Formats: sequence, structure tokens, C-alpha cells
Amino acid sequence: MSANIKSDHLLVSTRKGLFALARADGAWIIESVSFLGDNVTRTLADARDGTRYAALNLGHFGVKLHRSDDRGKSWQEIAAPAYAADDKVATGDGKEPAPAKLQLLWELVAGGANEPGVLWAGTIPGGLFRSADRGASWQIVKGLWDRPERMQWFGGGYDAPGIHSVCVDPRDARTLRVAVSCGGVWQSRDGGATWNVTTHGMFAAYMPPERREDPAIQDPHRMVQCAAAPDHLWVQHHNGVFRSVDGGLRWSEIQVPPSVFGFAVAVHPRDPNIAWFVPAVKDEKRVPVDGKLVVARTRDGGASFEVLREGLPQRDAYDLVYRHGLAIDTSGERLAFGSTTGNLWLSENAGERWQLVNGNLPPIHAVSFG
Amino acid sequence: MAKVVLASALTRHLPDVSTPGEVALQTHGATLTEALGEVFVRYPALRSYILDEHGGVRRHVAIFVDGIALSDKAHPQAALTQSTEIYIMQALSGG
Repeated sequence: MSANIKSDHLLVSTRKGLFALARADGAWIIESVSFLGDNVTRTLADARDGTRYAALNLGHFGVKLHRSDDRGKSWQEIAAPAYAADDKVATGDGKEPAPAKLQLLWELVAGGANEPGVLWAGTIPGGLFRSADRGASWQIVKGLWDRPERMQWFGGGYDAPGIHSVCVDPRDARTLRVAVSCGGVWQSRDGGATWNVTTHGMFAAYMPPERREDPAIQDPHRMVQCAAAPDHLWVQHHNGVFRSVDGGLRWSEIQVPPSVFGFAVAVHPRDPNIAWFVPAVKDEKRVPVDGKLVVARTRDGGASFEVLREGLPQRDAYDLVYRHGLAIDTSGERLAFGSTTGNLWLSENAGERWQLVNGNLPPIHAVSFG
Repeated sequence: MAKVVLASALTRHLPDVSTPGEVALQTHGATLTEALGEVFVRYPALRSYILDEHGGVRRHVAIFVDGIALSDKAHPQAALTQSTEIYIMQALSGG
């Protein structure tokens, strides 16, 4: 897709189905609904071959993965990542070690442009999985799973830790960066064989003082990478916002108005200094500040922010936007975000103005263009 | 020799079941393990819906053998008779 052409397709993964929206005659309409009634946690539109993937968490019946080769008209169930019998989850917060079982497929991204069919999946309870065959089979990434530091990770909002962000470096697909709640930021230069944890500059205000800077217990809520400047990464962390300009080795804290708490972050695909956040009050109060829903945007690498509110409710709003609930298209102009209260907003001008596309959707887990 | 009844919440996920509703199967094995094995031969896709990747019954799936819920879900075992009825259903939840 050309860099400056806006995407006219939006996939909205919700608690009760996958909603595919399309722009027609200037309006966004629901083009199709898949899996109505089922919990769709994550969707990927693979730009390399047009394939769509949908991850479901059926609760009673486990995590499932489906693939569509006809843009969502029909779906085929394919393999979901699975843990081996001797895989164990041991956490740093005192829970009893337990057998590892797939609980959530939290992140699903395409491999490099030169790796057709390669997919990466981040999961709860903490395994990173790779598929080389469009999801027909999955292999756990042992180089990360076997790191002893994993036993220090712990769950953030869930009983077990999980990988929610995977960034494949566009310059070299063997360079991977992943973020873990709560387990820090990890990177590999060799396609996942070996890993280093890189959180220098991050701190965890929720930990005892002597462990605040412990890398393996940091809680990045979401990490995104600028496609055109991959050394520039942004993290919305549990207790703040951090930015790196050196490939994620060192991180600087950024002050975001009206609050540094939140889950979602988006970065402009070509300008690493432009990023968006959807703040909430704080961890014990996950609602917009003063009932006013806003988007915070920086255009100077975090030195200053604009608080964007045109078109967003400025009273009695209790929407929370999850970590995968904010998306930007390849043009960098069109953004969308969806909330836990089923509202979907879209901006055609980088967040200056927002329009409510639908106010009656189920709780929204994730949105993505494609 | 047991009758196995699959709840409609399960059968709706089976691509080769076109009519909504429960599905009942007659099995011939002498144990629950054997009976489930026969069910999975008939509906291979069902295995991952009832069992997790380690062969244990999923946390929110219930198996009743003649009206008594299976308690050791990690090691699902029960002896069956000719008149045994097995119900496989979802634990109930709200939302």
C-alpha cells in the first residue's frame, strides 16, 4: 500500500464479534460481521498477501485462530499456539508454579516483507510463538521462554504475564522487540534465538524501592515502533510514558497531559516525533480525567503535547481504550480508536477532529486498518 | 457403551454440524477416555474445545457422567456401563 494513500478498511475486534468497516461515499459503514456473539480479541490484516487472521477467546472452549483468504467472507479455523506438557509458568509475585496453558492470544503480527507466511504471536502466559506457514503450525520461541528471568515476570491485569507487543524491524526482520506485562522490553537480533532485556531508564512505581528499576518486572502496557525510523519506539507504561531513540536500549520518561496513565499509543509511520495517547486517570481509576475523553498528541518527540478533544464527549464519558484499541493507517492522517463501552471514533486529520462512527458496538478490544 | 450428548454451545463450533442443537452419539468404549476418543474420531475439531493442550478438561467445560460432574479434570476417568449417559457442556457464565 502506498504510504500516502489512506486505508478505507477498518477491522474492529470486539467482545461479541469482528466488525469490518469500509469507507463508502465519505461514510464508514459496517461491511461485514464475523463471529457474531463470540469474543474476538485480535485481528491481523496481513499487508503482504491480504490474508486476514482473527483470534478468538471462547472462554469455555479456549483460544482459537481463524484465517480468511477472501477478506472475511469465509473463515477457516487453523492451529492456535500450544504449550508443551512440561512448560511451566512461575511468576515473581508468589503464585504457585502451574502448567502453562494458552490463555490469550494477545498479539499477532506479520513477519518481515521478505518472509512470506511468517507470523508472530504473543500470548498469555508469556510465550512468544512463530509460524512459518500462515498459522498452520506454531513453535514456541525457546530462546525467550527458557530465560531464567521469565520466572520473575508476573501478570498485569491477568493471573499470568503476557506478550502484547511485537515489533519486527523493517530493516532486518531478524531484529525483534517485544514488550511484556509485566516483564519488560526484550530484543533479539537473530530471529529469536537469543534475547536481551533493555529497559534502562524505565522505572516501576508499583514496586518496592529496591526493585523499581528491575528490568524483568517493568510493565509496558504497549510498545509501538516508527516504520520509517525503527530506532524510535514509544511505550505507554503502567506508571508513565517512555520513549527510546536508540532501538529500545535506553528510555526517557515523557510527561503527557492530562495524565500519564493509559494503555494505547500510536506513532506516525514516517515521523517518529509524532505520537498519540488516550489517557485515563490512573491505575485504580481507569476512566477519562473529569469525564472528558481526550487524545494527547505530541509533534516534537514529547517535548510538548496538544490535548485534542473536538468531536469527543466532554462530559460524563467513561470510555477506556485498551492497548490495541488505537490504530493509525499508513498515511499517518487517519486514526481510529474504540472503547470498552463500545464507542468507535475516527479522525481524518491526525486527530484534530473526531467523528463517532458507531456508539453501539460491543466492548472493543482492538482496532486495525487493513 | 455410553451415550454422549454434546451441548449446542459446543456443536455450533463444528463445521460439519449444520443444524443447531445438541448432538448425541453412541460410543462403545468401556471408559470415559475411550468414549471421548471415539467422539474425537467423529469430530476431530472438538478435541481442542473440550480438552486443553495437555489433555485435561478445560476449566469451564463440565462433563457429567450419569448426572455426576467429573471432579478430576486433569485426569478425566470414569468406568462406563451400557446405560451410561455422558453430557458435555459449558459451565455457565454471565455477560
